[in-house]
Amino acid sequence: MGKSGGHVTNEIRKLRFHQDEMTQQELADRVGVTRQTINAIEGNKYSPSLEVAFRIARVFDVPLEQVFQYGEE
Amino acid sequence: MSMSFQEKSLWLMFIGLVGGFGFYFVRVLPSSTAQFMPYQVVFFVLAVVMLVVTQVVGHIIIALFDRSANTDERDRLIELKGTRNGAYVLATGVFLALCVALVTESNFIFTHVLLGFWVLAQLVEIGSQLFFYRWGA
Repeated sequence: MGKSGGHVTNEIRKLRFHQDEMTQQELADRVGVTRQTINAIEGNKYSPSLEVAFRIARVFDVPLEQVFQYGEE
Repeated sequence: MSMSFQEKSLWLMFIGLVGGFGFYFVRVLPSSTAQFMPYQVVFFVLAVVMLVVTQVVGHIIIALFDRSANTDERDRLIELKGTRNGAYVLATGVFLALCVALVTESNFIFTHVLLGFWVLAQLVEIGSQLFFYRWGA
């Protein structure tokens, strides 16, 4: 999604699976966003703000880099 | 991916604008006159009433089936981007309407250039938001 040649990817789908198949709605409720936003983040259609990114990492109790990665194209 | 309350609301507004002002332009533009006529104002009022009624009834129906009207940072970003795109079109329309006002004495043409671009700006704003919701902001 970035404009400088890089793009943000994430491991949210895998992390949800390892949390007893946590639903998108459950994650959305705990993060404080809508389910559609979690869906867009998971599908790499939207890069969340730092605040939301940290909140997602906190829900899974992992470091931010384990949830989001920045790759050069 | 299912549609959020915001997306349904935007689709309703888009359809209402196309229907309401489509009806108005189809009825009024073919009978172009030099000055705005009273019967044309009636069509304008009808178009606005149609728009308001469809919005009120439509939103009640949407709210009955979808109560998750909460918004977050992505909704706000999409709204801002849509508003920006619509503003470009509206600014272009205002400039063109002023040009028209300089070269013609017809308030019919001036009014309809302005109104046409306002409707177009709204459609671009809403269309942009629908695009961003589907294909990423």
